[in-house]
Amino acid sequence: MIALQTKITTMDQWLDRHMGRLFLAPAVVLILVFSIFPLVASAVLAFSRLRLTGGGFRMRFAGWRNFEKQLFGSEQFHLLGTFGTLSALAWVFGLACTAGLIWWMIRYCRTHFTLFGFIGRLITFAMALGLVWLFAATTLSGRPFGTVGTTLFYVFVGCGIQFLIGTALAFACSQHIKGSRTFRVIFFIPMMITPIGVGYIFRMMADTTKGPFANLWQWVGLGDWAWAADPWAARIFIIIADSWQWIPFVFIMMLAGFESVSKDLNEAAEIDGAGTWMTFREIIWPQVLPIAATVMLIRVIEAFKIVDLPNIMTAGGPGIATESVSLQSYYAWRALDLGQASAVAYILLFITVVICVSFFNLIVLARVRAKP
Amino acid sequence: MNAEAPIIGSPMGISIHDMNKFYGAFHALKDFSLEIEPGEFLVLLGPSGCGKSTALRMIAGLESISSGTLMIGENDVTEVLPKYRDIAMVFQSYALYPHKTVAENIGFPLKVAKTPKAEMEAQINAAAAQVELDHLLERLPGQLSGGQRQRVALARAIVRRPSVFLMDEPLSNLDAKLRGNMRAELKHMQSTLGITTIYVTHDQIEAMTLAHRVAIMKDGVLQQLGTPKEVYSDPANLFVAGFMGSPPMNFIEGTLKAGTFNASGLQLSAEGLADTDASTMGFRPEDAQVVAPGQGIFDATVFTVEMTGDQTLVTFRFGDRPIVVKAPKDFDISPNTIAGVAFDVAGACFFATSSGSRLRVTV
Amino acid sequence: MSPQSPSIFEPRKIGEMAPATKVLLYTVLIGWSVFVIFPIYWLLITSFKTPAAVNEGPFFIPWVDFQPTLHAWKDLFIYDAADTFRAYFNSIVIAASATFLSVLVGSMAAYSLSRIEFAPNLITILYFIALLIGAGVAIGVYGTDLWLTLAVAVALFFMLARAVGRLYTVRLANGDILFWIISQRILAPIVVVVPIYMMFQSVRMLDTHFAIIVTYAVVNLPIVVWLMFDFFNSIPRDLEESAQLDGATMVMTFREIVLPLSRAGLAATTLLVMIFSWNEYLFALFLSTSKAQTLPILVAAMNAGERGILWWTMSVAIIIMIIPVVVLAVVLQKYISKGLLVGAVKG
Repeated sequence: MIALQTKITTMDQWLDRHMGRLFLAPAVVLILVFSIFPLVASAVLAFSRLRLTGGGFRMRFAGWRNFEKQLFGSEQFHLLGTFGTLSALAWVFGLACTAGLIWWMIRYCRTHFTLFGFIGRLITFAMALGLVWLFAATTLSGRPFGTVGTTLFYVFVGCGIQFLIGTALAFACSQHIKGSRTFRVIFFIPMMITPIGVGYIFRMMADTTKGPFANLWQWVGLGDWAWAADPWAARIFIIIADSWQWIPFVFIMMLAGFESVSKDLNEAAEIDGAGTWMTFREIIWPQVLPIAATVMLIRVIEAFKIVDLPNIMTAGGPGIATESVSLQSYYAWRALDLGQASAVAYILLFITVVICVSFFNLIVLARVRAKP
Repeated sequence: MNAEAPIIGSPMGISIHDMNKFYGAFHALKDFSLEIEPGEFLVLLGPSGCGKSTALRMIAGLESISSGTLMIGENDVTEVLPKYRDIAMVFQSYALYPHKTVAENIGFPLKVAKTPKAEMEAQINAAAAQVELDHLLERLPGQLSGGQRQRVALARAIVRRPSVFLMDEPLSNLDAKLRGNMRAELKHMQSTLGITTIYVTHDQIEAMTLAHRVAIMKDGVLQQLGTPKEVYSDPANLFVAGFMGSPPMNFIEGTLKAGTFNASGLQLSAEGLADTDASTMGFRPEDAQVVAPGQGIFDATVFTVEMTGDQTLVTFRFGDRPIVVKAPKDFDISPNTIAGVAFDVAGACFFATSSGSRLRVTV
Repeated sequence: MSPQSPSIFEPRKIGEMAPATKVLLYTVLIGWSVFVIFPIYWLLITSFKTPAAVNEGPFFIPWVDFQPTLHAWKDLFIYDAADTFRAYFNSIVIAASATFLSVLVGSMAAYSLSRIEFAPNLITILYFIALLIGAGVAIGVYGTDLWLTLAVAVALFFMLARAVGRLYTVRLANGDILFWIISQRILAPIVVVVPIYMMFQSVRMLDTHFAIIVTYAVVNLPIVVWLMFDFFNSIPRDLEESAQLDGATMVMTFREIVLPLSRAGLAATTLLVMIFSWNEYLFALFLSTSKAQTLPILVAAMNAGERGILWWTMSVAIIIMIIPVVVLAVVLQKYISKGLLVGAVKG
């Protein structure tokens, strides 16, 4: 005891007390330097007009001009889409959604109002309203939408498909069947391939003259059809490639979830006379729901970043039909217009944060809180 | 046991003064004060959630002390990190490192202290021999039985010769028979090593058999501190009386007026006790006998009869309360018959029902 | 099951499937396997085709439809061997180092967050952010010198942090720090890549391994922290408390007790981060020009402008990229679902 006491030097004591901070510090410093500082720098760029010169760059303050150009100016068609006169369908859809959103806000204010909750919901509300009318004014009125619309299409349709198929496969694989290990290994493979590679592989697959399905295309009379020239065909091909790559991720996470479900409960339910569907809905699904929400959140976050696939498969074409917001920003950078590139990136960041945080707060946390 | 094993740490006294613990608004430990003699075996006893484990973890340094002081020997260790307190602890779960062999587990404290290899091996072997584990040194904890794991945890605690042992319900994961054996070994080991020990349990048999002194706790408050005999025969309050003993003390509620205890149809002399409106009389099951109806203090209907082998427990219904009497092992009576209950009123304890405090004869 | 159901006479065992379900199940699983494997099969045979065999229409079966050759493999491994091996070497060094750095730093942070209560002062943090924005405005609008402004901002922060912190105390908790770290994953690479590019340009470290390694490590930190935080939370505290009482320091507890017990979580996290770093394209495109080029850049380089895409060599490049990941996945396979699960369940 006495021997121990003398060994304590002040340095040791200090280390003991502050080791926790020292453990956390590297991560915080790295994130500050590589995420927060660039974020601030990017904001500065977004408000400037900047030209790269030999070995350096010249910068001039431009105010909101970059954002104005994207949101209201000459680049509006590119980012948001071409607005036309609203069609009857657009009016019906827009007004119905607006009414629904207002009802949702009023219901919230009536039940459990808190200041922060209200502000948060107000932002969600504004974003949803903006997207609804954007959709109404472009697609529903027969005009093409811009990169924001394309990105949201990739995110919601793509993630939806991936989630459904991935979950179904995981559930199938979690059953007691022979060879389920082999299926697992096979299903996991696409995730290991670089997105660039996936893009090129699917470009090969989709080639109508020398791809594997060329004969099929000929046979159905689409031999000369260039899918890359059709906006919806191109978008759907990109979604197929994206799903091929990312279903494994949903699959592996959901499989882990299904396997963690207690077998006793299953058997108890079956003894009680519940059918397969009922067992799934009443017993299994509630248990994997938290995992499902997390998996979806991760997937949605990653899906907003989509850039490699449209870049490789269609170079954003035809026109801007398959261009994601990330890709638009990348092309702006390639044209050395750093101000526009950063402004577009910031708009993407804003949309992503609002949608992901809304998803997290309103769906994931609500589900978690609802559980006793 | 290896009596020649060198004892480096000499037993230390522990002195706790007005120790408090808050978790936010929750007051987990209230003005806890305790003096523990060097070499003493002290048991903290109480129902779950009474703050006994919190108190132990505060002594270990695993929980911060919200207010108050803690001294080990001459040193104030209130703010000292656990590693400098020279304490060994046995956890309820044993906290064996599942990826280390028994020898590595036992040797971990020595490895931390950078003990030379040869010396380390000798000490591991000595500690393992003390708990009769020498043949299992290369096994992993997962390959051991519950009792063996318990021994590894003990060996890991004694290998360092700490100045204080802390044990947090170390026997509660063992089956009943093994628990009895380990209890005896633990007691023997503690008296051989002479190391100050604080032992937390909710099992009053363990407390009675092991302790030099027992500290009974409830809701973060120390209720009574005394030798097992004291807390059993002279409980300080209603809680201690109801907690100690198996089965616990029988209670009859009534009023005290002018030296008489009045309960439903009962009048007993209780001289020298102050008048109290709501009071409770208690007597131990073993201090009472079953007698013929009308012969005892009161008559009641037999509710159940339980044979435990060495005795027979007869449970009566008196009002809405159960009254248990310990009868000899060959005693027989059928349920639903009426019998008398006899006991010595002078040996009964009286309590104020609302505060729970003991009513004593004022001289 | 209704009482009238005929299967009551031939009861199925609990947990056993009806034959029709089984057939359906296998159809779905095998169908999906074909969908997964066919593109890879096509990739594989394309790598053994001559340019002519690729361009003259679909051929499916080697030796029957077309004569397999090693033409593309020779192209990549003999004629362009220097480029190929350099990219391969770069990719291995970068992915391995970035993964190691990320998993190490991330698990340390996660461990710290799961075991120690932090209570940073919100006002101090706001002050820090205000200073950063101020510095940004000064640089962007008034054109002050980058490094000087940053130095002034950092100095101001450390000089006044305590005083500002005392003004008003609102404490954040570990959950807030965790959320902040994880939320960094929301940042699309495109948002931060330009400033990171300029940052490395200003210290003349573009096209170095270091630049890409550190960038990848940071980009993947949120995943590591997220998964490992939940994993560490699932390890019983007793073990560490016991080690602590025995005199172990936090470093020793972490190395001797916590890390060995987290093998499953570490393996799953490592694999995930490794896959992300190995396959990343955008940052590599910005940060490398020649010396530090990685395999994805090599793959993209097979799109050789006017000559069209060199499908055959590109297939080889993609295949050699897949192999190490498959090997790693097989080695770590038994940990994957176990390790991911903990993170997922509580996340």
